Amino acid sequence: MASSRVAVIGTKQVKPILSANKTEAKRRVLNLYKAWYRHLPYLVKDYNIAVTVPETKAKLRELFLKNKHVSDIRAIDLLVIKGQMDLVETMRIWKQKTHVMMFFKDTNIKKPTAFLSRFYEGHD
Amino acid sequence: MATLFRIFWSARQVLPKRISRTLSSAPATSLTHTETKEPKESEITSITVDAKDDITMLSGVPEEHIKTRMVRICVPARNAMQSGSFNSRYWRIEFETRERWENPLMGWTSSADPLSNMAVNFSSKEAAIEFCEKNGWEYYVEEYKAPSSKKKSYGANFSWNKKTRVSTK
Repeated sequence: MASSRVAVIGTKQVKPILSANKTEAKRRVLNLYKAWYRHLPYLVKDYNIAVTVPETKAKLRELFLKNKHVSDIRAIDLLVIKGQMDLVETMRIWKQKTHVMMFFKDTNIKKPTAFLSRFYEGHD
Repeated sequence: MATLFRIFWSARQVLPKRISRTLSSAPATSLTHTETKEPKESEITSITVDAKDDITMLSGVPEEHIKTRMVRICVPARNAMQSGSFNSRYWRIEFETRERWENPLMGWTSSADPLSNMAVNFSSKEAAIEFCEKNGWEYYVEEYKAPSSKKKSYGANFSWNKKTRVSTK
């Protein structure tokens, strides 16, 4: 068993997807963020979900900031495209309530660590 | 009625033209004022990105199956029942085994692991490594040991210089 890592360093030239530079990509991200932000009150109303508008705003911010480490312009573009599709699907009510609630994770119940409580729990 | 219709008809004729004119004039002015020297975005055919690809946020694989998985990269074993060695011509990735249990009704083996049966074949070790790197999986490589064939002959037992048995005659 030989462990090995390939260190890929440097840059390469690739074909752009939408944006030609970081500024443009950032502009697209901000536009998408604003579009989602403006739609949030309608989202809460349309789907009649048990969250408040400020909670959805916080969640939106969290989901966008989750990808803030992405530096590849092509990846940013693809994320924007996926976000855009998601927004359209949400706006047109092509989703059910549960699909919207999937943005909000379940309550995280911590798994037991002690020997006996793990045994009572059943599976690992 | 006829005049009303005519008014609507003329409006339909004019309106799209007017909209299209305002739309076409807007980028033209901005081009002349701000972007005279820079190339148009549609003209740019290549951009510079990091050489290391990372598709973890795009692939849709849940985070728990990216950060916690270990991949084994190896050449699969030859079929022990046959002499052909076609299996060992490619490199395969497979995931570590997660919890399995016996189904109480039928006695079948069950698993909750979506990647348990995923085995992807690659033509080279490097391709497999690149795939794992791209997907953010931890991995290790089991190097391929080429089987060495030993020469065996009955006559060598009686040869004066190629004796296979040397300890006892």
